[in-house]
Amino acid sequence: MFDYDLELSEHVYTGEGLIWMFVAIVITSIGMFVFWRQDLSFDGTYEPLATGSPFKNIQIRKVGMFVFLMSEMMVFTSLFSTYMRYRLGLRRCDDVFADGLFDPVANPTGWQEAVPVTCFEPASHLIASSWWHLAPGAVNTFALIISSFTIVQALRYAKKTDIDEELRRRRVTMFLGTTWVLAILFLTLKMVEWFVGFYIPDLGFIHEHEIKSLVAEGYTIGADHYQHHSYVDEATGAHMTANIRVSASTFYVTTGTHGAHVAGGIIGLTYMTYKAWRGGYTPTNAVSIEYFGLYWHFVDLVWVIVFPFFYLY
Amino acid sequence: MAQYKILGRDPYWMNFYGLMILTAIEVGAVGADMSSTAEALNMSEDGITLWILTIIAIPKFFMIAAIFMHLYGDPDSGILTMTALFPAFFIIIMILFIGLTHPDAATGLPAWCRPGTWGL
Repeated sequence: MFDYDLELSEHVYTGEGLIWMFVAIVITSIGMFVFWRQDLSFDGTYEPLATGSPFKNIQIRKVGMFVFLMSEMMVFTSLFSTYMRYRLGLRRCDDVFADGLFDPVANPTGWQEAVPVTCFEPASHLIASSWWHLAPGAVNTFALIISSFTIVQALRYAKKTDIDEELRRRRVTMFLGTTWVLAILFLTLKMVEWFVGFYIPDLGFIHEHEIKSLVAEGYTIGADHYQHHSYVDEATGAHMTANIRVSASTFYVTTGTHGAHVAGGIIGLTYMTYKAWRGGYTPTNAVSIEYFGLYWHFVDLVWVIVFPFFYLY
Repeated sequence: MAQYKILGRDPYWMNFYGLMILTAIEVGAVGADMSSTAEALNMSEDGITLWILTIIAIPKFFMIAAIFMHLYGDPDSGILTMTALFPAFFIIIMILFIGLTHPDAATGLPAWCRPGTWGL
């Protein structure tokens, strides 16, 4: 196996790639601004269609959105393959712990107290340890699925020609607003799960629980002396410490990138909900909701993979 | 919007119900005690969980892409699906050849496919 400690210590990040990140942000922002500017005055009378093969007669903005989503798919594929590579390449921390405490004669390959072991500690070891720990992620999964459904309903009502304008305005606003609320709920629960934690008082039928955040549990990208509460040798009381920087980094970078996409979606939804409230969507220009919906469904699609493999497994 | 029906009902509602049920099974599978199943199949509990999660994630992925993203049933679905599949080659390389290879692969490969064998 690779010596990951050696690998990490030899690769000190100096930030030279930051400039390219800012260039990418500027290009994306210009693209989003053009998209927004086009939508602002869009009344449906001029929706540019592709004239050449293979997209002949398909809306150019729709094709553009798909091409954008494909580039996004590549971003997330890179993150997933990184996760898989490290997960397969490093031993799981609980397997290392199961090897037992070091003994020069009886167990020379065991772990030693105060000597951190580099191993893979999946976030699911904490998150899936109880229903309460899992609750924010599970609620978020349902929230995203419901929000995918509500945005489809917003599109449906915006395209309806057999209802009066006021009813359309109210329904489209309600469904887009609901999507917005669910997106805010998603990020709020993400913050609770990462940084805040939560407390359940004794309610009689539910026992008292204090659920610590991942950061409070010590699950951080800089954790080189991480101690899970179960990594204690019963006979001696010795603690196994682990260097989990790689596993925590793959978790936070992947779920954080997904969270950033949700945050971007909230910006778009804020504008769209306001526009809907002003009665801006009609059957002729409802395609704007469809294009945003494609992005939003993609965010849901990524979560379909992130949730089981980062939160449950 | 979709012009077809699923089991005679609105496809978006049916898709929504399906996704909710599959997600509930997914979450339930993690909490369920599968030690006896694991023993019977001669697998680890983690391995069974991974299989269940993978088997559930695949239809969920297609349900969202096909029905919510209209990659099925619309006049332009075919060409847009092909566009969506465009990065498939890249994904195969990333997942199979980078993600799923073991870090020892370069030195652990059989001798016949290691550099030197072919006089390179």
